[in-house]
Amino acid sequence: MSDEDRADLLVLYRQMARGRALEDRVNALTNSREFRGFFHPGRGQEGIQAGVCSVLRKDDYLLYAHRGLTYLTAKGMDPTSILGDFLGRVGGSTGGLGAGTVHCVDVENGIMGQGGTLGSSFTLSAGLGLASQVLKQDRIATAFFGDGASARGTFIEAGVTIAAWKLPVLWVCENNGWAVSARLADVQGTDDIAPRAAALGFYTEVVDGQDVRAVQAAARRAAEKARAGQPAFIEAKTSRVEGHYTGDVQPYRDKDDVAQAKDRDPLLLAQTQLVEMGVSEAEVSAIWDEAVSEMAAAEELARLSPEPTGDRIFEGLWA
Amino acid sequence: MTSTEITYAWAINHAMDEEMARDPRVVLFGQDVGRMGGVFGVTRNLFEKHGPERVRDVSIVEHFVVGGAVGAALGGLRPIAEVQFADFLLVAGDESFHKLPKWRYMHGGAFTIPVVIRAPSGIQGGVGAEHSQSPESHYWHTPGVKIAVPSTPADAKGLLKSAIRDDNPVIFFETRRLYRVKGLVPDDPELLVPFGQASVRREGTDLTVVAWAGMVLEVLAAAEELAAEGLSIEVIDPRTLVPFDWETVAASVRKTSRLLIVHEAPLTMGPGAEIASRAADELFAELDAPVRRLAGPDVPIPQNMALEQFCFPQIPEIVAAARELIRW
Repeated sequence: MSDEDRADLLVLYRQMARGRALEDRVNALTNSREFRGFFHPGRGQEGIQAGVCSVLRKDDYLLYAHRGLTYLTAKGMDPTSILGDFLGRVGGSTGGLGAGTVHCVDVENGIMGQGGTLGSSFTLSAGLGLASQVLKQDRIATAFFGDGASARGTFIEAGVTIAAWKLPVLWVCENNGWAVSARLADVQGTDDIAPRAAALGFYTEVVDGQDVRAVQAAARRAAEKARAGQPAFIEAKTSRVEGHYTGDVQPYRDKDDVAQAKDRDPLLLAQTQLVEMGVSEAEVSAIWDEAVSEMAAAEELARLSPEPTGDRIFEGLWA
Repeated sequence: MTSTEITYAWAINHAMDEEMARDPRVVLFGQDVGRMGGVFGVTRNLFEKHGPERVRDVSIVEHFVVGGAVGAALGGLRPIAEVQFADFLLVAGDESFHKLPKWRYMHGGAFTIPVVIRAPSGIQGGVGAEHSQSPESHYWHTPGVKIAVPSTPADAKGLLKSAIRDDNPVIFFETRRLYRVKGLVPDDPELLVPFGQASVRREGTDLTVVAWAGMVLEVLAAAEELAAEGLSIEVIDPRTLVPFDWETVAASVRKTSRLLIVHEAPLTMGPGAEIASRAADELFAELDAPVRRLAGPDVPIPQNMALEQFCFPQIPEIVAAARELIRW
């Protein structure tokens, strides 16, 4: 283990911790019903989001998915702005229009938003890749999605076009094996998504999504391919610790399955790796404590912003 | 100012050609728009002139055509995306009803979406229920997208150029039945037709008829017939439905006290319903006769060309309805 490896993992761990600490606050806001929309917890999947975003450039495009928040903070978005969206304040990134994960936006950091219909990021990422190619910008367009969304027809339509035009696109499938209450194999006849992308002509990597370092290494290779005009695809095998939404007690799921997912927590795995690399337990806990304080301060700041007034609904429909 | 007589299809072609020459961010994609020059010849020469980077064929991928155009716009291009038939736009329902009109708004106005979707529409002659529709109501009912419905070559060119330069998404319904119709089109490439400005196609005092796209020619022919009887018809072509130039329609109705709306889309919940309802609301005291709509019947469009003629208002029907309203 080199010092560089250790420094890398510390950064990755910090990003995972920030994502989780932010999510803890959002879960609390959801449980207290201060936030009334849907929230889809990403606990257990932080390693994929932190790992992939760690290899993206600031100007690379990101179309995130609905499960968790680590994509956003790892790509550089200010958590105050994200919490502002959850609290429906004008200081949120959508100026009080959004109230949840799906529409957080940060153009400066390449965060291009999300749709409420899953699978829409396939076609949008293709368009962003086209723009980068035509404008000779050398940016890649990254889209995250789950195994459920990979069934959408848009996957094929965008995929064949991306392949034909050699667009600089990176797709990341967070395969947690569950589409709400349905097991992947029961509804798609397979446990594996990557072969579908390979058949379209994507370069594919299959990686253990709980191991943030493995994800980072795979993402580095995949992003390099995508930037060179070879569309790339990462399937990260992962586990969903919580239900589909905050409050979903998962009656459809075996308790052992949830327990196993908890054992394979990417933060715990990274903590073990860090200690093995000679980082003290105190230092590791300090990172977590710092993330918790950062998000508490962000929430306090977000609350200072007012709620929008009714005329907000007519602002910004037209350019 | 010089003008040249060209077809409606060629006017659309010129608009794209000029805008692609003016702005390198304008790209075009769709089925067969490249080497073939479009199944109706509307995109001829564009591939040769502007190159394979900017003029691209796609497979049968309507979801991509519309969603990809939105993504390309987010990335700084100004895409023109063609769906071969307006009916196919409905295949891309999520992209055309959600992503295109809502992405900017949902994200608090962070983006502009300068996309033009070219959607050739209307009854063309024997192409059936899924290749003949005029689906402008669907999109008029969807806040966030502008709608153009040109009826002349000059408007087709001027409106398309405005659409390409607009930072908002536009669905550009071009009427396939009009592709071969010729008209004078100004040569000046900076002469644009603004959105939201109706055109009075014929001035008159006895009845206002509102019609657009493929129905304008029929209405003008009917007006000519009625003139022989001494009846004076004012024909208003809104040219764009979003934004809609209500002021021009209202001023005309204040003059004529009568309103007839003629369109090709089915009657029920068709665009005429909105115009008639607004007239009832705002012009009730001005009216001397009921507001009437002539529209396609509430049936899918048959492929049989003889039967197809029963699926959009014909000149004798327009003449009869106008007479009845004037003599009310």
